Amino acid sequence: MIEAKVENTIGRHKDWQPKILAFLCNWCSYAGADLAGVSRIQYPPNIRVVRIPCSGRVNPIFILKCLQNGFDGVLVSGCHPGDCHYISGNYVARRKFAVLKTLLEFMGLEPGRVQFSWVSAGEGEKFAQVVTKVTEDVKKLGPARKLVRNLEPTETKY
Amino acid sequence: MADVEQVLRETVRKLLQEQKVCRVIGYARGSSALRSTPVFIEDEKDADSLVFDITCGNNLTQYLKKCGKAGDGRVGIVAKGCDGRAVVQYIAEGQVKREGILIIGIPCEGVLDHRKACDKTQGREVSEYRIEGEKVVLKGKDFEVSLDKFDVLSDSCRRCRYPSPPVHDVFITEPKEAASQEPECKEFDEFEKLDASERWAFFENEFSKCIRCYACRNACPMCYCEECFVDQSNPQWFGKSTDLSDTMIFHIVRVLHTAGRCVDCGACERACPLGINLGLLNKKVEKEIQERFGYTSGLDPDETPAMAAFDEEDKQEFIL
Amino acid sequence: MSVKSSSKSVLVVGAGIAGIQAALDLAELGADVHLLEQTPSIGGRMPQLDKTFPTNDCSICILSPKMSECARHPGITLHICSSLVSVEGTAGDFNCRIKEHARYVDPDKCVGCGVCAEKCPVKVADEFDVELRQRKAIYRYFAQSIPSNYVIDAAHCLQLTKGVCKLCEKACEADAINFKDKDKFIDLNCGAVVLASGIDPHNPIGYGQYGYKAYPNVVTSIEFERMLSASGPQKGHVVRPSDGKEPGRVAFIQCVGSRDLERKHDYCSSVCCMYAIKEAVIAKEHSKGIEPTIFFMDIRAFGKDFDKYYERAESQFGVEFTRARVAKVTPADDGNLRLHFTREYGKRDSEVFDLVVLSVGLEPREDMAELADKVDVKLDEYGFCRAVPFEPLNTVRPGIFACGAANGPKDIPESVMSASGAVAGCARFLALERQEKVSKKEFPEEKDVVGERPRIGVFVCHCGINIAGVVDVKDVAGFAGTLPNVEYTEDVIYACSQDCLDTIKEKIREHNLNRVLVAACTPRTHEPLFRETLREAGLNQYLFEMANIRDQCSWAHMHEPELATAKVKDLVEMGVAKARNLFPLQKLPIEINPKAVVVGGGLSGMIASLAMADAGYEVCLLEKESELGGNLAGIRNTLNGADPRELLHSTILKVEDSKFITVHRNARLQSIEGYIGHFKTTFEVNSQKPEAKSKEPSVEYDHGVVVVATGARESEPAEYLYGKSRRVITQLELEKRIADLPRCKTVVMIQCVGSREGERLYCSRVCCGQAIKNATLMKKMRPGTDVYVLYRDIRTYGLAEKYYGQARDLGVVFERYDLDHKPELEPVDKSDPDSKLKVKLVDFLLDKKIVIEADLVVLSAAMDAPKENEQLAKMLKVPLNKEGFFLEAHMKLRPVDFATDGVFMCGLAHSPKNIDESITQAKAAAARALGVLSRKVIEAEGTVSWVNPDRCTGCGVCVKACAYAAVELKEMTMGSKVVKTVAEVNEALCKGCGACAASCRSGAINLKGFTDDQIFEAVSAITT
Repeated sequence: MIEAKVENTIGRHKDWQPKILAFLCNWCSYAGADLAGVSRIQYPPNIRVVRIPCSGRVNPIFILKCLQNGFDGVLVSGCHPGDCHYISGNYVARRKFAVLKTLLEFMGLEPGRVQFSWVSAGEGEKFAQVVTKVTEDVKKLGPARKLVRNLEPTETKY
Repeated sequence: MADVEQVLRETVRKLLQEQKVCRVIGYARGSSALRSTPVFIEDEKDADSLVFDITCGNNLTQYLKKCGKAGDGRVGIVAKGCDGRAVVQYIAEGQVKREGILIIGIPCEGVLDHRKACDKTQGREVSEYRIEGEKVVLKGKDFEVSLDKFDVLSDSCRRCRYPSPPVHDVFITEPKEAASQEPECKEFDEFEKLDASERWAFFENEFSKCIRCYACRNACPMCYCEECFVDQSNPQWFGKSTDLSDTMIFHIVRVLHTAGRCVDCGACERACPLGINLGLLNKKVEKEIQERFGYTSGLDPDETPAMAAFDEEDKQEFIL
Repeated sequence: MSVKSSSKSVLVVGAGIAGIQAALDLAELGADVHLLEQTPSIGGRMPQLDKTFPTNDCSICILSPKMSECARHPGITLHICSSLVSVEGTAGDFNCRIKEHARYVDPDKCVGCGVCAEKCPVKVADEFDVELRQRKAIYRYFAQSIPSNYVIDAAHCLQLTKGVCKLCEKACEADAINFKDKDKFIDLNCGAVVLASGIDPHNPIGYGQYGYKAYPNVVTSIEFERMLSASGPQKGHVVRPSDGKEPGRVAFIQCVGSRDLERKHDYCSSVCCMYAIKEAVIAKEHSKGIEPTIFFMDIRAFGKDFDKYYERAESQFGVEFTRARVAKVTPADDGNLRLHFTREYGKRDSEVFDLVVLSVGLEPREDMAELADKVDVKLDEYGFCRAVPFEPLNTVRPGIFACGAANGPKDIPESVMSASGAVAGCARFLALERQEKVSKKEFPEEKDVVGERPRIGVFVCHCGINIAGVVDVKDVAGFAGTLPNVEYTEDVIYACSQDCLDTIKEKIREHNLNRVLVAACTPRTHEPLFRETLREAGLNQYLFEMANIRDQCSWAHMHEPELATAKVKDLVEMGVAKARNLFPLQKLPIEINPKAVVVGGGLSGMIASLAMADAGYEVCLLEKESELGGNLAGIRNTLNGADPRELLHSTILKVEDSKFITVHRNARLQSIEGYIGHFKTTFEVNSQKPEAKSKEPSVEYDHGVVVVATGARESEPAEYLYGKSRRVITQLELEKRIADLPRCKTVVMIQCVGSREGERLYCSRVCCGQAIKNATLMKKMRPGTDVYVLYRDIRTYGLAEKYYGQARDLGVVFERYDLDHKPELEPVDKSDPDSKLKVKLVDFLLDKKIVIEADLVVLSAAMDAPKENEQLAKMLKVPLNKEGFFLEAHMKLRPVDFATDGVFMCGLAHSPKNIDESITQAKAAAARALGVLSRKVIEAEGTVSWVNPDRCTGCGVCVKACAYAAVELKEMTMGSKVVKTVAEVNEALCKGCGACAASCRSGAINLKGFTDDQIFEAVSAITT
């Protein structure tokens, strides 16, 4: 009986598929993701995409909300510097992202949980690579534990 | 300090007399020896009630929004380094007009952290205190303790780089030079060396104490939103419960919202009834902003605040 | 120049992609378009194709929205099953008679249910599926037909031929069958006519040696295309006709019906190399076991990004390329086929394949001569409709234009360009006025849904098997039904098909839906279509949301159906969550300043300017040099003998004479600000006189559109002793000196210098033609000169092929080299770099090294995009590709547009191209620009920011975040007292990026369509 239960847990763990929320800007990264599909480039099915006009639209609060909601990872992807359809949305965003990432990692959040990329409309291949990397990183980290709603504090003592 | 107070009162009296200002925001003695209270002086006769000492911790800038706007004349504000920087930040953010404010700079030696003092006196009431060089002597019924000043200063004062307001209209005695570089902060450096899980555990432990009273926010001069995100219901950004995730996110967002704006006055920490270490995160962010974007808040009213600006060459090593 | 015209009607003959594009562009100009199509559906050849090169876009997917738009456009009348009878009269006043053939099905009654076809006893080979399938005598042309009605094939219908049956009539509940239907003649008074009658694929039955029809496993490329198509007869499973087995080795034989003098097809069909590579790649994608080999003479991957595709096919997909002309195909065991061919180095060889695909060429339609007769236009020796030098879209009869493959073989983007270009030609013959209203189309009044509980309809698309082949679509639709506020859910085969769009409208009414979610392909292409459907149903178009379950799911997770289905459910749930929070938005009308700026005064810029000026719009033409003309000024001859000098002079003259065009030479662009309808360009004109040191003041010019025509230039070669030996020059340099060149015994030309390798992985396209032109000229001037052309592939695509043949006949020697064996140069006298040059290379036929002693070496240098493009791209907020050429909005269907409205491009700025192609594209850009200029007002997007003043603290972070200066701080006063300072959004300037909203700490500024709420709900919908 006990053995069966253990097996079950391991089984579940083995089957665990992370869920990753991706905010993609409409003009570059979303188009890049479409191109990956059109080119039939395969990548892990773990991301859930929210289309936004520009990476500049991403309020860091959105990312925190995703973590609280239990997403195991968050990816934000925009246009390369200079490519922004809105001229400088990605530059404005970049500062926000830098500060958020610094802050969360200073607090002790795993760096792999929240990631950022620039993917152009022509980079279907890169999009697939980014998603693959983020998925692998998150898989290595295991299910999200930090900032998730209704979870007990982690066990490490300060 | 007595000298400083004398000069302050004299200056304020004169400013009011000459109608250079219609009102001065400053400190008066509070409910006890170690407490001061904000005071608005409109009549020169009241200038004598002004005090300035180690107990004047409140950041008065937040009162500017309430009484510095109306077109009824210029408002003077007694400003330590951090208060002065907050005023500069207000100007940069359009909250007050430069010409509507008269900054009365005052030399600051750091302010008292009541919790630290309280620890040293085991909670006994202090009826008077005096400064003796680098010592603070606290006196109460049946006791007198002499403490190293450093030990009872606010954390933010211990690491203060700008004791005098970088922008001022008059100065009480002589302004102190800003430190040429960020003062050393051992606590901070050592904390950074901990591993991630220890740091996380530390913050979980700190924030699990939070009762969501928002005293930190209310004390913060930079938290001037009409309605704080945490109180909004459309959308309801996060839960108002004390679920740890909600609490931690509240504090993270509080730091993000003050990023590039925080003047490290320590008001939040002193206001916290539970003694949560709130300054650490702000400190980290301001340090990062300084290193990454070369920006320090509250120095130049004409500079675009870091988080409202960008440079095409900003570092982006973290972006895939 | 002015033509009296009283008609704003125009007839477009043929509704393939060219006809559709021409019709849409004309309708945008305000013309009344009659679009005539012989078959029962518009669409032409494109719907038969599975994918398109070089992006592998699904053909029907990208075409469908255009077909639907055509059918819905109030300015377009479709005449299907129709033919042209006659065109009388003159330009501006043609009397066109068309015949609408009886369809025997009332289109207003037919609901397209298909019960009639089920009952019909007559089976006929299906022409759409190139007879690989059978259809009935009553049929729908193809699944996504527009219009979607059924028609009766009178030649096969029992009732109509023998007077017995009527089963369909009995079966039809809509009472739509009408056996009394008669052919109708319609007379139209038209100002102009556009011929877009298309091509036929070559029928390879004449190539007896390849065994088409003799051996079942020899198929044509168009048959193979249908085999690959998910909606084709084999549902995308590639199997052999003989035994239904999946083939292993598949051979493609190129140039069947092309480059063949014997059959009077000595032109190149231009598209076969690329479509064969595409078919090989797609086949490989369908099944890993397929090993494609392409037998070719030259790979002609000359278009934008084609060479990269070719390279990828070889290196990534393992497509094999064999340079050999196949002599014959003989049967081998087991239905297999043996190909006999001679290898390049002369060895005879043979190999066995499971399946053989004949890459058939394009030829004029069978009835082209008849059509030309009716319209009274001339055809060329091959039967293509082209006649006028440097007027690639004109026919000999003024007012009648030809576009698409009707005037020469071309691929989709070139067809689209030529169609738009023909529209620019038509404009002058039509009585058009600036349009007052935003839309001709009247939509029902919008229902007020504010305050209503959300009632969401969810439509989950199969996309044939594109989605359903991976995702359990039915399961997803069922799941959607369980979500809160979802009132209706359905899975549909093609969400974008006309009948599904009708279904959506019906369900909106039936279930009183006030929000719609479509889970299908990408909103980037299909959102406009569905939004319009909502408008037609009386819903605000912004009450629509899409879940991208194809491009970003089924196509990306083809081997993980369960996880893909789980992902789709999440995407649908997130979409529903967002839909629940949608609210109606309104679009701000924007007035259009009816003036244009054209950047670049080369041929393209001048032609574009003239086309807009011809239509009566003011143009400001900026040229950075002191003379107009660009590259054209350096060209002395053309392949076909037309005089480019004459073109240059007459064009400059026309530009200078035009009262609508102001030319600024020596102009230096400083900035372009603003947006569609409201651009402001600032430029400086440097004084030509050196003594005038003082700077001229900047000029500001307000205008509504921009056309980018910045050109390209011949690069400076970095190899083959260029710049080191005076005997090494470029083709352009040769061109200038060719008339007075000293006598040369031997001239060697080297092709692809700098092109197709390294940083420039693209073909410069014009150099093969240029080399052959110059080689021919030299041979004609001095027949004794030996001219060698060292090439990698000779790319005299299209009708230039015959000049390649002529050059060979004149004795020009063509020697191939490849990247591993590039020619080597050294001076005969090593101490004198200017002495004669030894050119060493490997002769592949003889399989040995040869040395040619050359008096002159001419390099075909790569075409480079100008560096200044970068700066201009930033000003206009438009992208460049890796090589620095401007990147269009869509490689196939929007070849002259940018994603940014009001900005267009043409000529070499887009990619290398020749004179005729530049003229075509310039006219296309002008026509697209005219689509904007001809409107007094257009509408802004509805997704703009707005401020909640109660929350705003006036901190100004939004003002700083906005790159468009669309947000300003305003003081709110009460009486004379300032109460508050708050941010305010100028909707006309706001582009909807949301940087302001993301920066706001107080949640005071928000982006409509992507509100904090909507995003929060979406990311909160599916969490664990």
